[in-house]
Amino acid sequence: MASFLKSAASAGSAAYDSFRRLPGRKFEPAETDQLVLDLQAALTEDRVRNDSAQRALMSHDASVFDGGNAGPVCYPETTDEVVAIMKIAERHDRAVVPRGAGTGLAGGAIPLGDAPVVIAVTKMNRVLEIDEDNGIAWVEPGVINLDLTNHLKPHGYHFAPDPSSQQVCTIGGNVANNSGGPHCLAYGVTNAHIMALEVVSPAGDVLQLGGLDPEPLGLDLRGVFVGSEGTLGVTTKVAVKLTRNRPGVRTLLLSFSSVRDAANTVSGVIAAGVVPAAMEVMDARITEAVENYVHAGYPTDAAAVLLAEVDGLESGVDIDADQIRAIGLANNATDVRLAADDTERALLWKGRKTAFGAIAQIAPDYYLHDTVVPRSALADVLEEVYAIADRNDLLIMNVFHAGDGNLHPLIIFDGRDPGVLDRVHQAGAEIITASLDAGGVLSGEHGIGVEKQKFMSRMFTDDDLDHQNRVRQAFDPVCRANPGKVMPMGHSCADIQQLRAVPRDVWG
Amino acid sequence: MTLGLDADDLNSCVQCGLCLPHCPTFRVTGDESMSPRGRIKLMREVQDEGAPLTAEVLRSFESCVQCRGCEPACPSGVPYGHLMEQTRETLADQKKMAPGWQRLALKPLKHPAALQAGTKALSIIQKTGLVPKRLGLPDDLPFRQEPLVASGDDVYLFTGCVMDAFQRDVHQAGQRVIEAAGFGVTPTGDLAPCCGALQAHAGLAGETRSLAEHMMRSLAPDTPILVDSAGCGAAMKDYGHLLGTDEARAFSARVFDIQEWLADNMADLPTVEPLDLRVAVQDPCHLRHVQRVHLATRVVLAPYVRELVELDDEGLCCGAGGAYSVLEPELAGQIRDRKVASIDRATPDLVASANPGCSMHLAGAGVPTIHPMELIDWALTGTR
Ligand SMILES: Cc1cc2nc3c(=O)[nH]c(=O)nc-3n(C[C@H](O)[C@H](O)[C@H](O)COP(=O)(O)OP(=O)(O)OC[C@H]3O[C@@H](n4cnc5c(N)ncnc54)[C@H](O)[C@@H]3O)c2cc1C
Ligand code: SF4
Ligand code: SF4
Repeated sequence: MASFLKSAASAGSAAYDSFRRLPGRKFEPAETDQLVLDLQAALTEDRVRNDSAQRALMSHDASVFDGGNAGPVCYPETTDEVVAIMKIAERHDRAVVPRGAGTGLAGGAIPLGDAPVVIAVTKMNRVLEIDEDNGIAWVEPGVINLDLTNHLKPHGYHFAPDPSSQQVCTIGGNVANNSGGPHCLAYGVTNAHIMALEVVSPAGDVLQLGGLDPEPLGLDLRGVFVGSEGTLGVTTKVAVKLTRNRPGVRTLLLSFSSVRDAANTVSGVIAAGVVPAAMEVMDARITEAVENYVHAGYPTDAAAVLLAEVDGLESGVDIDADQIRAIGLANNATDVRLAADDTERALLWKGRKTAFGAIAQIAPDYYLHDTVVPRSALADVLEEVYAIADRNDLLIMNVFHAGDGNLHPLIIFDGRDPGVLDRVHQAGAEIITASLDAGGVLSGEHGIGVEKQKFMSRMFTDDDLDHQNRVRQAFDPVCRANPGKVMPMGHSCADIQQLRAVPRDVWG
Repeated sequence: MTLGLDADDLNSCVQCGLCLPHCPTFRVTGDESMSPRGRIKLMREVQDEGAPLTAEVLRSFESCVQCRGCEPACPSGVPYGHLMEQTRETLADQKKMAPGWQRLALKPLKHPAALQAGTKALSIIQKTGLVPKRLGLPDDLPFRQEPLVASGDDVYLFTGCVMDAFQRDVHQAGQRVIEAAGFGVTPTGDLAPCCGALQAHAGLAGETRSLAEHMMRSLAPDTPILVDSAGCGAAMKDYGHLLGTDEARAFSARVFDIQEWLADNMADLPTVEPLDLRVAVQDPCHLRHVQRVHLATRVVLAPYVRELVELDDEGLCCGAGGAYSVLEPELAGQIRDRKVASIDRATPDLVASANPGCSMHLAGAGVPTIHPMELIDWALTGTR
């Protein structure tokens, strides 16, 4: 796995060098040319790209994993074009990799194996229909999450899942990763907001999964597809549920002198029966980096801050806010601040949502983890995470969706330091072990991708995995869609080991 | 090959992608190679990984508007503008970018007389209908212009090159407003013929440096220098970085956007009846993303118009980009379409834009634009 780690520069890292030096297989121009020509005939010449620059860019996403090897890159504009791409890829026996904005953190959009065709849906970005009566909108998969919410604003609605990357990630990517966000605490993750999907199967069939009725008949294949990380086909249309904007909102910023106090406040709030829209915790180091960027008045001397938001009717929100304040103070909060207006609220959220990006002020590389632990175990697991950092001589910061126990330990490093990559991986594995031991799960929202494949067998029995694999093969008998992801080695759709070991020179 | 980029600057990008939606070329193409993250990645591939400088890599670099909308969006503080300027400088030195005709075209900017003569010639040709519309020139180029006259030495008003030739009206309005606020104004005229912004964009930083040095020698020390073109102001505020001397940094520190300066010095402006207009504020990129003083425009306009409205596109570039609209007419047009749609949604009577390039570009699509100084002057004097 270490050889999959990215480093920002080539110098220094042994793991990185040996990865780069693997023998490159030569491109076979004739075959590629016919594939490209066929794709260009089906789309247009300028929307099928096979140049080395384009393929190099499509070999990465926002994760730390490298080693992708993109084939031709297609930018379809319609469902029919996606169908055509699938059929042409099948004829040429090539895999396909769906891609949205490339902000995934588990390597889901990285093309593995034999130069798969990349299907980038960024041009399929129209909001097709808003049905206010039924509270539903049909959108194309390339619509940016925040664009959709902004588009809905004049109608008094928004799309509730709000990943921190919402200003850039796509609805198609949200569906594929079943993404969450700060406000999913009260409203549920993406899965709870998807009514129906139009997808193109790996064989090129157009399917509608789910339906607009509250209780659609038949097997719930929509639920199977949400979270399938591009391994069951390409989403081409999405019917999303609209959430009404709440009239009253209160946002509180609580400061603590220990992370444990913050974690205990979170458990206390939930135990008291308050259901905040969001509860987010950041530790001291990350708070400082964020404050440097947004200047929102985050305290840089607190060991942890808790950002809590309640929404609902004007009359109720003040009561909830008071209760959170009281629970915070009972857990030794050193300061409680209420956002005075929308501008201050927006600034506080901007800080929280750009937290991961802001760490580059400290070191050039990061590895963002994503596990879930029972809320009651939050404080203990966090302490263990800091101990893991010490043991491995690494800097780890914590920023997390505290309300649902979703931890995001952020390992910060400079990939140019010799040996650092091995320590990063060691720490990552220990964090997963600590979370699972506490009764948690592998991933809260970022997905499995290539990142956590090998831990799947720690979560699931062989029978569990076997059934998952068979569902996958019902959609995709030859594992053409996003091969090498999610399923652990030894299960047929993960079997691209020999391809993965021989990344070709993308500049060939 | 090395692009001459600072390794730490280049490494500061963590490839998170948060900048993508703030990039106009990515917005209209959805193409990663036309995004900030993609361009930075390609700089790395070329400088660190020895990737060849293919046509597509060059295309990625030259399609950048250099609007720097990606910078405020970046939580890691990646100095994108400097990375791209340095990349272009290296490639221009090697004659891989900025072809000869582009260099030639930028020459007259340093020579106001030549530019005035050229404008006069263009205005004649324009009357014959021979100038292609896509060049986005103002509909009615001035044939003869009133000279600018100094009224005191409290502040300089930087008059520059293209703008002075095409839009001297704006300088005149700006000068009247500053005078109404109680200050004597010296227009810089031939003292400071050109700021060098377009040259720096094209990678001809050597020329910009010599223009900067010329300007610093010519203007008396300590007097504030007001600039009514956002692009010029941004370039002059960057002299400190460009020349790296204390003197240059001190010079940059006394450069102000005219709205920025007025917002702090408008106490003595007379109170008048506001114009009965709904005005949308279009923030030039170099005011909002580079100088980051765009809020001042609202402060100075508020007392003088009935209603100010914001556009809903978070300051996305309009596609003018200095010479960009001429060099990349197709992309610039698509980017402008987005801006025009946003303006339409705001339903204004007029659009206030503090950069001549943006106004000309938008006017080319039939958008009624006006400089904020012209609006205030109109309210104060009662005549447009
Ligand atoms: C700074 C930052 C903050 C983040 N914060 C959060 C967070 O708070 N919560 C969270 O859940 N995630 C977060 N993420 C991760 C990421 O943004 C989400 O997983 C997001 O949903 C991915 O969307 P995307 O459009 O970028 O998809 P991509 O990265 O392009 O793809 C992700 C996966 O979806 C598949 N896919 C994409 N489009 C389609 C399609 N049309 N059909 C089928 N499969 C498709 C791809 O094959 C891949 O497996 C964050 C990422 C960053 C960089
Ligand atoms: S430039 Fe900044 S915002 Fe854009 S990808 Fe790099 S780190 Fe992220
Ligand atoms: S400067 Fe403007 S066009 Fe260039 S990458 Fe940044 S946002 Fe895009």
